[in-house]
Amino acid sequence: MKKNNMVAMILAGGRGSRLFDLTKKVAKPAVHFGGKYRIIDFALSNCANSHISTVGVLVQYESILLSSYSARSSTWGLDSKGGGVYVLSPREKDETGLGLYSGTADAIYQNLDFLDQEEADYVLILSGDHIYKMDYEKMLQTHIESQAEATIAVIEVPKKEASRFGIMNTDKNDRIIEFEEKPKEPKSNLASMGVYIFSYKNFRKYLKDDAKDAQSAHDFGKNIIPAYLRDNLKLQAYRFKGYWKDVGTIDSLWEANMDLLKDNSGLDLFDPDWKIYTDDASATPQCIGSKAVINSAFITQGAIVNGEVDRSVIFSGADIQEGAKVEESVIMNNVVVGKGAKLIRCLVADDVKIPENMKLGDPKSKEILLVSKALINKKVGDDHE
Amino acid sequence: MNKVLGILNFEPSYVHVRGLEDFRPISATSILGRYRVIDFMLSNFTNSGVESIKVFIKNRPRSTVEHISRTSYNLNSKRGKIQLLHGDVDFSNNDLFNVDVQAFKTYMEFVEVENPSYVVIAPSHFIFKQDFNELLDYHIKSKNDITVLYQKVNNADKQYLMGDLLTIDSHKRIIDITKNRGKTKKAEVSLETYVMSTLTFKQLVEEATMTSSLYSLSDIIADCVRAMKIGVYQHHGYCACISSLNAYYEANMQIKEEKELLKLINDDWPIYTMTNDSCPTLYKAGAKVTGSIVANGCQIEGTVINSVIGRNVIIKDGVVVKDSVVLPDTLIDKNVKLECAVVDRLSIITHIKDLKGSKEEPIYIKRGDRI
Repeated sequence: MKKNNMVAMILAGGRGSRLFDLTKKVAKPAVHFGGKYRIIDFALSNCANSHISTVGVLVQYESILLSSYSARSSTWGLDSKGGGVYVLSPREKDETGLGLYSGTADAIYQNLDFLDQEEADYVLILSGDHIYKMDYEKMLQTHIESQAEATIAVIEVPKKEASRFGIMNTDKNDRIIEFEEKPKEPKSNLASMGVYIFSYKNFRKYLKDDAKDAQSAHDFGKNIIPAYLRDNLKLQAYRFKGYWKDVGTIDSLWEANMDLLKDNSGLDLFDPDWKIYTDDASATPQCIGSKAVINSAFITQGAIVNGEVDRSVIFSGADIQEGAKVEESVIMNNVVVGKGAKLIRCLVADDVKIPENMKLGDPKSKEILLVSKALINKKVGDDHE
Repeated sequence: MNKVLGILNFEPSYVHVRGLEDFRPISATSILGRYRVIDFMLSNFTNSGVESIKVFIKNRPRSTVEHISRTSYNLNSKRGKIQLLHGDVDFSNNDLFNVDVQAFKTYMEFVEVENPSYVVIAPSHFIFKQDFNELLDYHIKSKNDITVLYQKVNNADKQYLMGDLLTIDSHKRIIDITKNRGKTKKAEVSLETYVMSTLTFKQLVEEATMTSSLYSLSDIIADCVRAMKIGVYQHHGYCACISSLNAYYEANMQIKEEKELLKLINDDWPIYTMTNDSCPTLYKAGAKVTGSIVANGCQIEGTVINSVIGRNVIIKDGVVVKDSVVLPDTLIDKNVKLECAVVDRLSIITHIKDLKGSKEEPIYIKRGDRI
């Protein structure tokens, strides 16, 4: 039986400037996460596990690594015939020339020809920078059953945090009657997760209209959803229960990593029925030396631990040397923590080498210290003065 | 450039890995937590640039077929080819192939069709790192008919038993090949890795078949030491011959040491294996792990000392695993004490709280056992 054809489009073009040095040369969705993953693995694996076979990845900012990574569709099993991962970067066109994506809606608008060609019945819009596990097939079912034109995934957030999100106000059947972007006084606590399903026919029309509007910011939250509401098209809320995290800042990226140490975070990466796939490095198993001390840690293959690790996440190729101590920290790929170095509440970027006996981080600080090559160079320089 | 065909031989009759061998050939046996024994030799081939490899399996091909078909070994997916050639049992429940030569003869057309200039034949029960280009270059330069890879060892009284011992003259030619009956410590042992022209290979297979239906490739080569120029090439570095449960255990224990591990597996010489997409390993508060290698997907609450822990193993609170090899997908339940054990896949240890072998005689827990 031919299924309803839903094509997923992952918005992965943003810079993610609040991740500072982590996204200097790498787009946010390609930033490493949780030991062995990249952030975009979650959206791509969710697609694969939800039986979606065609996925477009919209890239723009620093896209070399992200593009080549996403293009290897077989990593997520998305290499079946007729499907695949399509990397969609801004391109030069016959009529309009070369245009960058000027907003989330514009990025999709500029690829309507791709969606036409794929004969999409439904379009699933996703963000490439969220950590969660979600069955989009169930969401599509709700969309079809409720005969909505658009369905928006929502999650209940604590009332006092609601003003940080796009908030959906719904009627008793979860039909969305109002949408407020970061309201000062939120009327509900249903936050948009940035996951949308649109029925394609009308979606196409609204994107075209939006493109013509010179005043528009070409944004889903600011323009497309309000236009649907204005015209009284049916917008349905789809309540998601489970773990969901936007990892847009150093603190939230650190927190999401720390959540992996908890038994009850709701993000079960051990579930064999909903695996998160990733490019599996041909690394050695993790090597825990005879002097190592490990107390609560999430460690992946290729890591070598000879020092002490406490409440930390250790990524592939990391080398924690003898006498070093890593506490409440995230140690990313190929980081070397030199002998006797002490780290607390740090997030150490890929490939940083921490010199012997260096002390970084503050147990009392509210904010997490991002340890980049630049920071190490500066510290080493200061010590010489 | 000379076209080289890689041949991965099946294990000779002297290989008996107690327990483990009842479920799969040695080639498909899990080692070091995340690999199969065969990964090391296949990665040797592909890291050496050999694009076409024939893997011979004596019987029970299921696990090897599954593993190889889902591992890329970094071959070009169009030009590269790993072909599995397996025997099975006949209706009297005997193995179709007694010796490797019978298998080579049966499948010779698959070798011929590749039209290689040279064949490199490597064993499936050895673990070592070897660039086969070096071996081939030497073979061509030395004008040998056959070149045999060998190693100088000083534990031939305990390991490599019933393997081939070489007597080598000053011109690096073999003048005698005998079976190792463990009489000396120091010896030159054959790593059962041969390079020769395809023509020589075909001749040897023909001759062996005519001599005896029980003749193996190593038997016929031993017969030919006078008639042919059979030279040697010395291998340096770590080498293990997995011919018994004890040897299997010892290899795990030796390679798990960081220095040995990184010499055998590194960025310049990666060892490819099948991905299982397991998440990283969770060490819960209270876990104590030292001197061990651990694969991904494990959940550890107890104590692990000096051991090798396979993928997706669950080690509960109060457990002590010491000097042991735990294969993937195993559950070690609360307060179990394991020492010098080899725990096969999918087993659950819950009722028996104390299992202890010795380093010379590790205890074996059967695949899928619930004890």
